[in-house]
Amino acid sequence: MNSPLDDGTPAPQVGNVLIDSAAVQYRDRSGKTALALTPTNLRFKPGAFTALIGPSGCGKSTLLNAIAGFVPLSEGVILVDGKHVTGPSPDVGVVFQQYALFPWFTAIGNVEFALKRFGMPKEQRRSQAMAGLTEVGLADRARSFPGQLSGGMRQRVALARTLAARPKVLLMDEPFGALDAQTRIIMHELLLRIWESRRTTVLFITHDVDEALVLSDRIYVMSAAPGRIIDAIDVTSPRPRSVERVDDAYLAGRNRILRLLRRPDAASAPPLPDRNGSIAPLSARRR
Amino acid sequence: MMTETRKALADFLRVPASLGGVLAVWALTTSSGAVNTEIFPTPAAVWAAAVELYRDGLLTTDALVSVRRAAIGFVVGSSLGVLVGLFTARIRSVGYTLHPFLNLLRPIPAIALVPLAIVWFGIGELSKYVVISYTVFLSVWLNTDHGTSGVAQTYIRASRSLGAGTAREFFEVVVPAAAPHIVAGLRMGCALAFLSLVAAELTGASAGIGYRIQEARNFIRTDRMFVGLIELGILGALLDFCFLQISRRLVHWEQA
Repeated sequence: MNSPLDDGTPAPQVGNVLIDSAAVQYRDRSGKTALALTPTNLRFKPGAFTALIGPSGCGKSTLLNAIAGFVPLSEGVILVDGKHVTGPSPDVGVVFQQYALFPWFTAIGNVEFALKRFGMPKEQRRSQAMAGLTEVGLADRARSFPGQLSGGMRQRVALARTLAARPKVLLMDEPFGALDAQTRIIMHELLLRIWESRRTTVLFITHDVDEALVLSDRIYVMSAAPGRIIDAIDVTSPRPRSVERVDDAYLAGRNRILRLLRRPDAASAPPLPDRNGSIAPLSARRR
Repeated sequence: MMTETRKALADFLRVPASLGGVLAVWALTTSSGAVNTEIFPTPAAVWAAAVELYRDGLLTTDALVSVRRAAIGFVVGSSLGVLVGLFTARIRSVGYTLHPFLNLLRPIPAIALVPLAIVWFGIGELSKYVVISYTVFLSVWLNTDHGTSGVAQTYIRASRSLGAGTAREFFEVVVPAAAPHIVAGLRMGCALAFLSLVAAELTGASAGIGYRIQEARNFIRTDRMFVGLIELGILGALLDFCFLQISRRLVHWEQA
């Protein structure tokens, strides 16, 4: 499974996520326990871009928090490159919905925070942080504090900061939900450009059907009460995609997802992906 | 641009306008003959008393002695307050054990502590430092504890998933995240240091603004009492102003 991709670029060796019967329990105010996430089996191959879509309360953030090591599993396991997820780790980077930038550090200071774990000399750290900001197009705002930046700029810094820690898996929790439509499109292009050059495994949570379709190789649809995955959709439309130029496959995918979101029980056959829920490499599908 | 200038000018004129108004009402009331000026002195009499105290060298000495006491009490009290606050907020067992006791201390005013302070620490400088530190400590502890236990979970999660260890999480995330609350606590502690100063100087003193007010009572020198009160007011306001300027720079992101 670690064979090189057909297009000649070496296959990413890292970023294999295996979710095996993982469930998350929570205790409500009356002290009763309930399942936020029913036992789930999923697998993200190295370099895959996967989206999770579903109504609020469907457990999509719970699943992301479990992979990030923020919430403990009540059963099952999550493995990242064969290693058990037992807590937060720099192997799994997270871009949060509310940016979570440290307002007391400048933009470059935030990126440097992520670089400090490598224990490199200060000048090297500084220049690497600057390179990271350049990658997201924010080199000229390096000295600005997050409070002085717009929402889109903040999310660029957040992305640069998360990538600076060199995660094997990138988890994004509705990262562009608060941005206006125009900024969101620019951010999509930026994210795809970075993903294509780094080939980090990405799990992207959204409640926007088009966002999921434009970005991902595969989309999992989730449903609430109890939180579970009800469908998996492979997006076969060729990249680059955009919402104003859609093909039939895209439309079919959109209709299917919208129907599921409206009537979750309408999921045709139980299409729960098997443990090897495999996603063909993008390049292979382009042919 | 124009409105900016006008606003700055209005701000600048606010202080003299407010103080001038109070002074005018004070002068009119006391010179109208409706009140006994022995008990409620005129501004002119208070000014004369201030000049007299200054000539005797008491005005400056008292201020220096009092500021020194307040400063030492503040430094000791606020250092302990920040330290204990960080511990009670971050280490569950410490917080669990200390919270009830500290909450019991909170309603005890500084002045109630004076007799005990005299018995335990004598009438020297130490008992004054203890009384002031106690008051400052409680305020700073409360704010530090509150701010530090309320650090947003997202910051902690971000820090951990970026590979920061416990020490870095504490010094680069928890402390700055709590800093606005800590600074607010320090500012209140600074004001409280002055407020408890008078109580502290009841523990038998031979100098200090609080002592001078007490002494004036023995001679019914209300003019001198007014000098002391105004001195306390001016010093406290100046200190608070300086504190605000420093804290704005210290936690600059709060205003952003």
